Amino acid sequence: MTNKSNNGFNTWQKSFEKETKKNFSDAISETDEGINIKPVYTKDDMENFSFVEKYSLPGQWPYTRGPKASMYTNRPWTIRQYAGFSTAEESNEFYKKNLESGQKGLSVAFDLPTHRGYDSDDDLVMGDVGKAGVAIDTVEDMKILFNNIPLDQMSVSMTMNGAVLPVLASFIVAGEEQGVDRSLLSGTIQNDILKEFMVRNTYIYPPEPSMKIVADIIEFTSKEMPKFNSISISGYHMQEAGADNVLELAYTLADGMEYVRAAMSKGLDVDDFAPRLSFFFAIGTDFFMEIAKLRAARTLWAKIMKDFGAKNERSLILRTHCQTSGVSLTEKDPYNNIIRTSYEALSAILGGTQSLHTNSFDEAIALPTDESARIARNTQLILQNETGVTKTVDPLAGSFFVENLTEELSKKAWDIITEIEGLGGMTKAVKAGIPKLKIEESATKKQAKVDSGSRVVVGVNKYKNPKEPSVDVRVIDNNRVRDDQIKKIQAIKESRDTTAVKKALANLTNAAKDETNLLVPCIEAIKLRATVGEVSKALEQVYGRHFAKSLSVSGVYGKHFEGDKEFMKVESKIKEFENVNGRRPRVLVVKMGQDGHDRGAKIVATSFADMGFDVDMGPLFQSPKDVAKDAIENDVHAIGVSTLAAGHKTLVPELMKGLKEIDPKSKIVVFVGGIIPEQDYEFLYENNVSAIFGPGSNIIESAEKVIDLISDNLSKE
Amino acid sequence: MELVDKIIKGERAAIAKAITLVESSKDSDQQISRQLISELIKKPGKSIRVGFSGPPGVGKSTFIESFGSYLVSQNYKLGILAIDPSSQITGGSILGDKTRMVEISKNPNTFIRSTPSRGTLGGISMGTREASIILDAAGYDFIFIETVGVGQSEIVASNLVDIFTLIVGPGSGDELQGIKKGITEYADIFIVNKNDGELKMEASKTAADYKSALSYYKKLDELEKQVLLVSAIEQTGMEDVIKTINQIIDQNKLKGIFDERRADQLEYWIEEEVKNIIASDITNRLTSKGNIPKYSEKVMKNEMSMYEAVETITKDTLKQ
Repeated sequence: MTNKSNNGFNTWQKSFEKETKKNFSDAISETDEGINIKPVYTKDDMENFSFVEKYSLPGQWPYTRGPKASMYTNRPWTIRQYAGFSTAEESNEFYKKNLESGQKGLSVAFDLPTHRGYDSDDDLVMGDVGKAGVAIDTVEDMKILFNNIPLDQMSVSMTMNGAVLPVLASFIVAGEEQGVDRSLLSGTIQNDILKEFMVRNTYIYPPEPSMKIVADIIEFTSKEMPKFNSISISGYHMQEAGADNVLELAYTLADGMEYVRAAMSKGLDVDDFAPRLSFFFAIGTDFFMEIAKLRAARTLWAKIMKDFGAKNERSLILRTHCQTSGVSLTEKDPYNNIIRTSYEALSAILGGTQSLHTNSFDEAIALPTDESARIARNTQLILQNETGVTKTVDPLAGSFFVENLTEELSKKAWDIITEIEGLGGMTKAVKAGIPKLKIEESATKKQAKVDSGSRVVVGVNKYKNPKEPSVDVRVIDNNRVRDDQIKKIQAIKESRDTTAVKKALANLTNAAKDETNLLVPCIEAIKLRATVGEVSKALEQVYGRHFAKSLSVSGVYGKHFEGDKEFMKVESKIKEFENVNGRRPRVLVVKMGQDGHDRGAKIVATSFADMGFDVDMGPLFQSPKDVAKDAIENDVHAIGVSTLAAGHKTLVPELMKGLKEIDPKSKIVVFVGGIIPEQDYEFLYENNVSAIFGPGSNIIESAEKVIDLISDNLSKE
Repeated sequence: MELVDKIIKGERAAIAKAITLVESSKDSDQQISRQLISELIKKPGKSIRVGFSGPPGVGKSTFIESFGSYLVSQNYKLGILAIDPSSQITGGSILGDKTRMVEISKNPNTFIRSTPSRGTLGGISMGTREASIILDAAGYDFIFIETVGVGQSEIVASNLVDIFTLIVGPGSGDELQGIKKGITEYADIFIVNKNDGELKMEASKTAADYKSALSYYKKLDELEKQVLLVSAIEQTGMEDVIKTINQIIDQNKLKGIFDERRADQLEYWIEEEVKNIIASDITNRLTSKGNIPKYSEKVMKNEMSMYEAVETITKDTLKQ
């Protein structure tokens, strides 16, 4: 630092301290990632970089500034809205409408039974059919889904991980029956199983065979589908589950490294498949951090791939899809979500994403309506057409702050990547449950910051709307969808060549016993009209179904509330309860059906325990009947049902029935939390639900309500 | 008592409520539970009580899921009392055991109850013994008591069961040094879990280590301790476990050891209970008299030695 600049800074610092009446060092704030943010950055903050190269150019090593030289100046990012619900017919209609209104690519959301490899007629999935995505049971559904959408021209992204084999096979066969050769199909299959074990839980098989399937798909697509991205390595769901940006970045890239190794173990050369690896990140509300994350991701990936010996430049380049954060949306004052999503979208664009999904403002409540989907799409159209952001590539390059943040994020992520590699890679780390626990810890911290008011969420813990607007939501009649699907399955089963199907499924089971690429026999079975469930079961015979161990953090939430009045009030109510009743209040926290998003359930469990509840955790994917047995055997005072996939209208009444069947006098208090449209509140209350907590509910207040409900209930006896 | 009939009929909610009563720290609940237990012991069932203990992370719950599934498939009724170790000093507990017992928890022939250990010695909670009496009366064939093995806890746990099993992991041979002392006193079966995949060799070696160590410690008139290899994940070795349990029980019954053991255990619990009552009584007296601060001050001022103070306080306290 020259004397001159030093003097300049000192003068600035004096003025700053005078204006703010604060020491400079007290004005430094810490982010969730543990990065210190200073009130000003200077050119001295651009020194001593070990990852970022200061004067690099777009489309050049280390690709910090973007995968291409021209970026949006040549062609803007792809507006790719993720959608799907109900039956294939209805989703198809919705897609066609969107394409007419300016959307460029498709992104298919499947329902939970499809993800988990169950047919719609399976008893286990009663409440979930067609709810959080479209139900696909056979190739016939897939054909309807893309009816009048030419698959040689439309790039299709499919969020599928668990049942990736039958679904990709159905897509290939649907294409062929449309007259499109598989070599012409373009798009992406998510095929990222590792993050499922960490956060999203829509896996089917244990980690090792699941990794084999991933490698099979990379191998097959690299040979036969040159325009198709074999994997979308996803950090999105990690951030949604509460990971901070460093964790998201590090675990995603570490996952990527594991997939590269898996593919190389099949004898593929790294350059054979690496250009077809794609990424998927979440863009939350921390504006500059998100921009820096995308820049850091490209920088680190280039380094990683070089270390793998990649020679083709395209192997070094990280291309990514982004989606604005779902977890940043609030149920309270929901129109604020349009504004949140707009800033997040701008972040993704300034970070240089290749495609983007913008959430609809009503997604904290239900599936988007036609109208809310239109607003979400227009958010991007306005950015592309009105703001001028497409005219300059990487406009924030050279910003002292953004460059420094890019370097800091890279460093921190690299430390974690090194740690994971030291453990023997991500498959091993995932099996040991380490990333899952770290993410849950981060999630609990974030929740505590909001509940304690140290982080402001407009309309939720500050500036609340005294007159909450009511919002129209899309309602799915899942019983009707299920009946429709069952009829279709029955018709297909009657018309197909059953012997040939059985033989094809047996072939598939045999193939799973050795090293054969499973996609080939899978395509054969699907062509013969085997169902997604049948194909999944054929493999399950060899691999078994995976059940996750559940580890929990404790003490993380409570730590944020030392001396907090509200927290202590609940604590003392619980102590009082224990004195009166001879034991602590006991709550069973459950997820029912095929919905594996367990961030909410985990946060409730750990924070309730920190306040003094005894909390029973149920396994994932329980049926209402199992939950009832569990609750009664442990004589819990209350059951907390966490639901994010819209199955509550079927599953909650079933639970009530289950409780009464075992114990007609059951006095267990049932409360529900998660994504529940207000229109359903009445229905749930009529079914004896005692309380409903939507997204953004304050956990301490919720806990107090629960303990009060339990006490009231006991005093009635 | 109405509750007694319902328990004997096997009504799930009644069994659950009864366990809540025996675990309760409330005086009125304790009175009812004493009455309840004295009625239930008049109508004993035929349960065999099996203890499973072992260090954290060794796969106890997964083993119980696997072994339990095997038992219910053989039409046995199975009660499980899981003492969940995840207790905290402040705050409540997170009871996560059942997340690893997915299949058996669904089965109508099981009853699974988790209890927070509250940091009591080795996690045996107040009421575990009584809970097993309740499940026995309710007609369960086997009652599993699952505890975390730390330090002395095995001794307490082993006094609750007819057969005591220690689950260990591959490569735990080194730990053997530490737990050798008295190991033959309380464990009847040693199960080496994780006999699968990469760990198979290591598991076999560990089993051999245990066998040789145990033969060294074997007393003349004792049954040979059994060492079994299982894989909870691959569900192998489960028939061996039940066969071994049945063998030991049969032999013990034949030789009268079975009843003798239950009698010894009863003595143990009577002694423990009396000690507890006396100890809490003495503590109350000590606190109410405030002798300790008084004499401690004298010792500090060198007016008397610590031993004299101890003697005086003891005499004074017991005199009452």
